[in-house]
Amino acid sequence: MSSFIKSTKEANQIVIIETDGYLNNEGGEAISAICYEKIKGGQHKFLINMAGTKVVNSIGVSILIEIIEKLQEVDGKIGYYNLAPIVAKTFNIMGLTKYSTVFATEEEAVGAL
Amino acid sequence: MNKQFNINELQLKYLELETLLDITNELNSFENVSVLLQEILIKSCAVLNASSGLILMQNNNSDLFQIEAEFNIDVEALKGIIFNKKKGFFNEVNQNRKPLAVEILNDPFLSRTNCTFGLIAPLLDKKDLVGVIVLFDKESRAGISSFDDSDTNMLSAIASQAGVAYNNIKLMENIKEAKTFNDNIMQSIVTGVFTTNLMGEISHVNRAAAAIINLEREMVIGNHYDYVFESNEIINQLISKCEEILATISETQIQIDCNGKSTSVNISVSPLLNDLNEPIGSVVAMEDLSNLDKLKSTFKKYVSKQIVDQLLENEEMLNLGGQEQEATILFSDIRGFTSMSETMSPTEVVETLNDYFNLMIEIIFKYNGTLDKIIGDALMVIYGAPNSTDKDTENAVLTAIEMQEKLIEFNQLRIINSKPPITIGIGINRGKVISGNIGSRQQMNFTVIGDSVNLASRLCSVAASDEIIVSDAVWKQVKINKLFKGKKLSPVKVKGKLKPIEIKEILYNRPAFHYEQAFEKIESFLITNLPPKYTYHTIHHIRDVVDQAEKIAKKEKMAKAEIEDLKLAAWLHDVGYIWEPTRHEARGAEYATTVLTALNFPKAKINKITGMILATKIPQSPKNIYEEILCDADLDYLGREDYIENSNKLLQEIQLNKKITELEWLNIQDKFLRAHHYFTARSINNRELKKQERIRMIQEQIKTIKNGTSRT
Repeated sequence: MSSFIKSTKEANQIVIIETDGYLNNEGGEAISAICYEKIKGGQHKFLINMAGTKVVNSIGVSILIEIIEKLQEVDGKIGYYNLAPIVAKTFNIMGLTKYSTVFATEEEAVGAL
Repeated sequence: MNKQFNINELQLKYLELETLLDITNELNSFENVSVLLQEILIKSCAVLNASSGLILMQNNNSDLFQIEAEFNIDVEALKGIIFNKKKGFFNEVNQNRKPLAVEILNDPFLSRTNCTFGLIAPLLDKKDLVGVIVLFDKESRAGISSFDDSDTNMLSAIASQAGVAYNNIKLMENIKEAKTFNDNIMQSIVTGVFTTNLMGEISHVNRAAAAIINLEREMVIGNHYDYVFESNEIINQLISKCEEILATISETQIQIDCNGKSTSVNISVSPLLNDLNEPIGSVVAMEDLSNLDKLKSTFKKYVSKQIVDQLLENEEMLNLGGQEQEATILFSDIRGFTSMSETMSPTEVVETLNDYFNLMIEIIFKYNGTLDKIIGDALMVIYGAPNSTDKDTENAVLTAIEMQEKLIEFNQLRIINSKPPITIGIGINRGKVISGNIGSRQQMNFTVIGDSVNLASRLCSVAASDEIIVSDAVWKQVKINKLFKGKKLSPVKVKGKLKPIEIKEILYNRPAFHYEQAFEKIESFLITNLPPKYTYHTIHHIRDVVDQAEKIAKKEKMAKAEIEDLKLAAWLHDVGYIWEPTRHEARGAEYATTVLTALNFPKAKINKITGMILATKIPQSPKNIYEEILCDADLDYLGREDYIENSNKLLQEIQLNKKITELEWLNIQDKFLRAHHYFTARSINNRELKKQERIRMIQEQIKTIKNGTSRT
């Protein structure tokens, strides 16, 4: 597992991935690798805890979009919580929030997904 | 891929603009350079999709860069690299002051990052390169690539903003540093400084000023100077005047009293001006003179005030080394002090020497002498060094005469106090000496050395008690103004000289017995030594007897000299109470003989004085008019209104040894008063009648008591 992925767990059939560091190409690919593997295993709901990620670039965002596209094919969903303001702003500008949801807390996210 | 999800160029530009705006908005909120640089680097990497980045800043003292911020990079791999601003791509950026997109594989420094592409932008302070932002490996979904023109422009914009923010922070840091520096200087200087603003409020107080005015800084700052220096009108006046005339004014050696502490200060007040030379307040500087005063006071134990002031004004005088010059040297020593001190306790020896030296040194300084040494009981004094005047020798001789004269007075007190008198011999010489501060840096003494000094010492040895012996060189200088009388003595052979030395004795008036001075000293002796348990034989009784003796003598038309003798006897008539109350007349007469002989009182008159003292013994037995006067003066109160007051004091004193009843006391008085009679016309006329009345009253009292007793 990449050092960018701090942990993964499951709750209510939702895969929760905790990240740590720069969400760039490398970080994005680390997330997508887990997601694609879990999708193959039949899981369609993902939450990303981004408390440890304070920086994101457009490549990282584009990888998240690729994951959203993949999930749309299987009627899955992805959400995020614990976003730093600058990360939330970048997600918003890049249009990510139109196709996925940003939550305030894990409880809220688990309940909504 | 569904097209609606593609990130288009517009979104990316929007992100870049937002990032730039964020950076612009946030840049001025940073107060710390490290935090600022880290934030710039992170945002730059994010917006330009760089995989990692560094910010290198120039070392203050060299052309080398050092890492100040890093993002997503293994800095361990870069350890030991010397980033020289004049080498590699840095040199190119340094030359062109423009961002540079490069392949870094061949760069001597950046190739160590294991990255492939770099984008280097200069951080400028005006036009000077102060640092660089380096972004590595632009990311894409296809892998890494080089940075393009758009990235270069973006980083250039960020770097410009960063440069401005960096300079602002540096400027603030410099201002803070300068303020701290100024504060530290202000706090560490020993001069007390405070400032006032246009409103007259105290805006700054340094530690020394707070100590001088004895107030906490917090209690002073913000208050009007009028209030703070309420009890020091002089300070308020100086500040007001400075505000009015806009010029520096000062006062020296003023005493300020603050919060119970009094300090001597020099004070100066100057206007505080802004860049446009407009007044914005005042600055007050106070120099605490306490230490200087202590220094002066210490110095003044050794040299006169004038020389202290000269030394403090001209530090060069303190340099080690010497010069040949003319000077006059005075030596004095106490004759026979060693044998005298053998009969004294160590405390008495020290007290005697201290009393003697205090008196002598005061005279030395009066005539601007420099006390060179105290050698046992001897003094060595220099005139003419370090500073010479044309009166040096005259001053030395004047000193010697006054020393001898004052010693006579000093000895009067010692004699009256039954202490042996002190006599001194003085020798003075003038000639060439080597003068200077001789010693080490740690301890140096101003002194003079040479043959002339030795001769002065030899002349002192030649001088007998009470004599002042001077060399021919001294006499030649002082004889011109005819101030002094000299007596030629036979030339003397002194150690170290082959030929006998011509010498003169300086003559001075040895004052005759001085009655008033003697009275004063006897009175002081009686006050100190009469046993306090006596309630009648006190200094008040003795003063009364002196007073009455003078009045009776004047009535008897006695000559002034005779009156003085009478007063002397009156002062001494009860002195024997100090040692032997029961035979105080005889003891007093013995004391008078010893003391008056030592004080050069005419021998022929000593018997007259002792006769008067002895005549006061009860029953009084005067054999001449002087004795009659003293006897009448001694018991003058028997016929006065204050009889009861005096007799009560006498009763109290008698009862120290024996309890007496009222009747016994009345009988004693009756018997004494009836046996007594006045001798002089003045006392018979003025006191006898009242005395007889007193006898009748006492007898009435005795009767009353006896009758009362018999009835009961």
